[in-house]
Amino acid sequence: MKPRPPAMRTKRRYILARILPYGMKVDQKQVYLSVIEAATSLWGDAATGLAQPAVVFCDGGYAVVRCRRGTEKDIATALATVTAIGDEQAALRTVATSGTIHALRRRIKPIRLLSETGEMKLGENYFTVYRYPRQKVDLVEKGIKHQMSLFFTEADLEER
Amino acid sequence: MQTAANKYPFFAYGLPTMKITDASVCPYPDGDSTLARMALEAAELGFDSIVAIGEGGHRVPGLEVLRGTVISASSQKDVIRQVRGPVARRADVVFVNAGDTSFNRAIVSVKEVHVVRNIHNARRNAFDHVAARSAAEHSVAVDVSMAPIIQYRGTRRQRVLQRYADILSLQRRYGFPLTISSGACSILGQRPVRDVRGLCALFGMTGGEVSEALGSIGRLIEPERPVRVVR
Repeated sequence: MKPRPPAMRTKRRYILARILPYGMKVDQKQVYLSVIEAATSLWGDAATGLAQPAVVFCDGGYAVVRCRRGTEKDIATALATVTAIGDEQAALRTVATSGTIHALRRRIKPIRLLSETGEMKLGENYFTVYRYPRQKVDLVEKGIKHQMSLFFTEADLEER
Repeated sequence: MQTAANKYPFFAYGLPTMKITDASVCPYPDGDSTLARMALEAAELGFDSIVAIGEGGHRVPGLEVLRGTVISASSQKDVIRQVRGPVARRADVVFVNAGDTSFNRAIVSVKEVHVVRNIHNARRNAFDHVAARSAAEHSVAVDVSMAPIIQYRGTRRQRVLQRYADILSLQRRYGFPLTISSGACSILGQRPVRDVRGLCALFGMTGGEVSEALGSIGRLIEPERPVRVVR
């Protein structure tokens, strides 16, 4: 099939969003379902259908959401209302909006795990400690399902 | 010579710069994130200060942490008793949970109260034009929390948006201050200032009104008064 000439193609915008908490393993389809649920709940079927949101990239703690030009503010607002991805609590924080994915890739700063320093006990529970830049420390409860996460800093850990 | 006073005229008059403040966060142990971590995230999200319920006084580079306290009471007498207690005296910002119409009318005239919060849980018209006029006279703010907009779905969120739109129409008429809070118990509940603008636009708040509301905590705790001669 012959592609449409550029002037007749639908104009798109791309929104870069950071996925929180850091280190969360997410599937692109799960992110898409969360975005669609949030957008439909906020703007309704008609407006969401016209905006045509889609998740085109999801890796390294970032997701790129595509939408029609002119609807990017509405979709960014809908992204702010995402509270879970799959069964886990999560948040999407918009970083930038652009007309090309290439421009957004330049804005991606990989969030690298500094070190995993075993485990610690807090109250009755055991947690795995994950350290991130800027002295951020995430504690994930040891277990199989529905583990609790706590968000600390190095200074908080030293106090305990 | 290019000085700060030349570049930014408000320096010359000694006016303070407007701080963008998240008017309430609930850190660990009420939530899952410590105050230091929430302050770190808030600084990254574009806030200059936060009000932490129950805690405060922490030093985080580039961010001011204010101590807030929440009063839940059923009568004005109870509120007055609590605001004169040691916990409220130590707090920088005193919040009172909204109640019925007569309660709201009464608490906005209590001198020690800074902000009326939880207005989305109050009955419709619980904060009416009488309370609005009194709040404007006493410079008592009404808090607009982002948490219900983010977390609720369906009719509950519609009701919250209706309440906020109603409060906004009263604010435009009577001019009482508004504050904007994330109401976050976790870093996952905190949102960037840009997203806050988008969420506030849902109930008709303009960019200018959002900026003013984000800066109103500073004006509440340090109200503009005539110059006094100190001897």
